[in-house]
Amino acid sequence: MENNNKKSSVFYSYSLNPQIKFDTQEKGEKVYLQLRSHPFTQIGWILTSIFFFIFLIVLNFFIRGFFNLEQIFLFNLFFIVFILSYIWFNVLNWYFNVGIVTSKRVIDIDFYAVLYKEITTAQLGKIEDITVKSGGYFESLFDYGSIFIQTAGTEANVEFIDVSHPTDAVQVINKLLSKKHGS
Amino acid sequence: MDPKNILAIISDLGINNIFFKLIIVFFTVFYYFYALVISKQVKIMDKTLQDKYNGLVLLITSLQVTVSLILLLILILAIFLI
Repeated sequence: MENNNKKSSVFYSYSLNPQIKFDTQEKGEKVYLQLRSHPFTQIGWILTSIFFFIFLIVLNFFIRGFFNLEQIFLFNLFFIVFILSYIWFNVLNWYFNVGIVTSKRVIDIDFYAVLYKEITTAQLGKIEDITVKSGGYFESLFDYGSIFIQTAGTEANVEFIDVSHPTDAVQVINKLLSKKHGS
Repeated sequence: MDPKNILAIISDLGINNIFFKLIIVFFTVFYYFYALVISKQVKIMDKTLQDKYNGLVLLITSLQVTVSLILLLILILAIFLI
């Protein structure tokens, strides 16, 4: 995997040979690639957070006439705590939703709304088809897209949604598949 | 702005502050349990995926629990002690 030109990029969303471990990792299983959603896909909650801060500042001008200073202080304190919690919740959602490519399998770890955990695994030997979907203005501009990995038999299909450099990631998987099949 | 006045707003039984008190009580209790749940989940996530920034994530989550606990203590102090 050393010849791949993107070692690690865009806020840690594409990491080649990362120093990570996961709970179901087998002995001798090496992690080659770690993928997260491209930071640009997080723009929705980032803009919402900025909007909340602006809203709070504007609101302070209006409530000044109705409440005293201490009440306004408490209101601001709780509002800021709420915004920071909202930001942190979304950061956690992004940070812990990862795709991992190892020497033996591909793994998709998802934490929906932080509370629900779902881990999907596909053995490299069972992979039948890999599809990359990247279309649209922003996808092209920031080089991100989704990877769909279809497996044989009853094994679940693995999806890496809106990950950085999907073509490079598929190249890594293909190299591992070639190694596995000995071609 | 006097800190005593801030506690007084919460402890004051005047009708003008009822709206504020209800919001503060609801928000603080909810936020404390929310912070606890998030903290528990982050510990589970940390076991599932051990990454190099996990220490920072755990630190910020602990900070969130501490802040929620401080808010809860201020609330209890204001309601029961003043």
